[in-house]
Amino acid sequence: MSKTFVEIEGKRLALSNLEKELYPAYGFTKAHVLDYYKRIAGFILPHLKGRALTLKRYPEGVDGEFFFEKRCPSHRPAWVNTAEIIKDDRERINYCVVNDLATLMWVENLASIELHVPLGSAGSPEIADSMVFDLDPGEPADIVHCARVALILRGLLTGLQLASYVKTSGKKGLHLYVPLNNGKTTFDDTKAFSRAVAETMQKNYPELVTAKMAKELRTGRVFINWSQNDSSKTMICIYSLRAREKPYASFPLGWKDLEMLEEQGDAEKFQVIHSDAVERAEKLGDQFHDVLIKKQRLPHL
Amino acid sequence: MKSLPKVATGPDQEALHAMWSGTISFSLVAIPVQLVKAVEPGRVSFRMLHKKDYSPLARKMFCPQDETMVPPDEIVRGYEIGPEKYILITDEELESVTPERSRTIEISEFIDLKEVDPIFFEHPYYLVPMKGGEKAYRLLAEVIRQTGKAGLAKFVFSEREYLVAVKSTGEALTLITMHYNSDVATADEFSSGRGEADAHELGRMKKSVKKMMAQFSPEKYADRRREKIVELLGRKVKTSALVEAPAAGEVDSEGPTDLVATLQEIMQKMKQER
Repeated sequence: MSKTFVEIEGKRLALSNLEKELYPAYGFTKAHVLDYYKRIAGFILPHLKGRALTLKRYPEGVDGEFFFEKRCPSHRPAWVNTAEIIKDDRERINYCVVNDLATLMWVENLASIELHVPLGSAGSPEIADSMVFDLDPGEPADIVHCARVALILRGLLTGLQLASYVKTSGKKGLHLYVPLNNGKTTFDDTKAFSRAVAETMQKNYPELVTAKMAKELRTGRVFINWSQNDSSKTMICIYSLRAREKPYASFPLGWKDLEMLEEQGDAEKFQVIHSDAVERAEKLGDQFHDVLIKKQRLPHL
Repeated sequence: MKSLPKVATGPDQEALHAMWSGTISFSLVAIPVQLVKAVEPGRVSFRMLHKKDYSPLARKMFCPQDETMVPPDEIVRGYEIGPEKYILITDEELESVTPERSRTIEISEFIDLKEVDPIFFEHPYYLVPMKGGEKAYRLLAEVIRQTGKAGLAKFVFSEREYLVAVKSTGEALTLITMHYNSDVATADEFSSGRGEADAHELGRMKKSVKKMMAQFSPEKYADRRREKIVELLGRKVKTSALVEAPAAGEVDSEGPTDLVATLQEIMQKMKQER
């Protein structure tokens, strides 16, 4: 196994197996993955910062076996930050926390193609920093249907004086975020709220939307998964790559862009590939910046 | 019917997980092994549901005196010594008399398996050799098989102290937990007395037994009721609509009324503007 030593911000790191093709159908190697994360670091790091990271590792590439890793590997360098989170008063897990470029490069060297983070910070895991609507299309519905649902949802939330932001999941769906950042809203609150919203949507658009988990009800509809609003759940981090045939990223879309894409009705056009992700982020800045800082409260609870 | 979805038809993967690992030892031999359940009773189990919305039901402790549900922190353990008289026993007290989990199965003696009435046998487990123990394991299994013996040992497992027999089944070693002598009712309590068997009748019955003699082939017998239930489930999966319980957390499906009303109002307005 080949090794390359690099020094990042004074931290020494051994990168291994750089020529390994992680996206074989696309000829995208581990070196490419590391390069993508290095170039997108300025945008993704604020969204990873202070959050308990779940690694989704693909040591054999996207076609091979993968595994979720919550426990921060014990062979980590001394400078990797961790956070201990206690679940249900008994299970303690020491998570990796990615606050800097060196740590990001280290987790990517573990072939952690996908980076998943909770909606609460490691310091106060029971407080929801944002509320999410995970829009998951059941075939033959696709991301275009998700866009339609997202646009209606935005209208509904605007009616409640709540700003919302949307990103691609990088796979088949869309994720709509409502920033909270008020230090008070709990996951019980966001769950009850998002569920009431999802059920209202289902009631008014029964042919387009389901708020129920059951697979058979999802056929041809968009499942609004409100149950992601839970301290124990994670979402794919914005700007993270996804493990599929091509290196698509989970990427923010402006509402104008989404309206346009919905009108065009071409599911492929929603996807943002690694190079476009970097280019668009550099040109437009972090379109999800407000998700981190905008303070909002949920009304009528 | 064997490929039915969601209806278990035999010991599942879960049953094959090691329940304990350690060593079997006697004199100078120590064999690293894992303990794996050998039998998973193939009972088809049903969930009890609330008829009105198919929510799965939970068991709760009920106090008939107060006519209320009793939360776990208000429940203590009592040993009944007479009508309405109990000795209280705390978790700590119970723990203090629970022996420590065994690390080894120390065989103290080998007995003749034929001498043990099957009435003593409780639960069977397979012993699976771990790395480095394969050779000694094979040897012990072979010796036990050839001699028809079983090793006896004391073994602490899941908070109980068991008497266990280590025997062979095919080429594997099995461990059977055994009932203690004091737990087994003696045959004398139930026999109808001895001595009055008539020689003629004895001979006749021996003959009819002989006619019905066969080799024991366990595969001939199956739990018919279970097969029929699985068949029934198979038919119903295909032909009848499934009922759906509110998903966990969906039970109270109203939501904050103020919010629900406001959402509907906004929705109405949005639809009109279209």
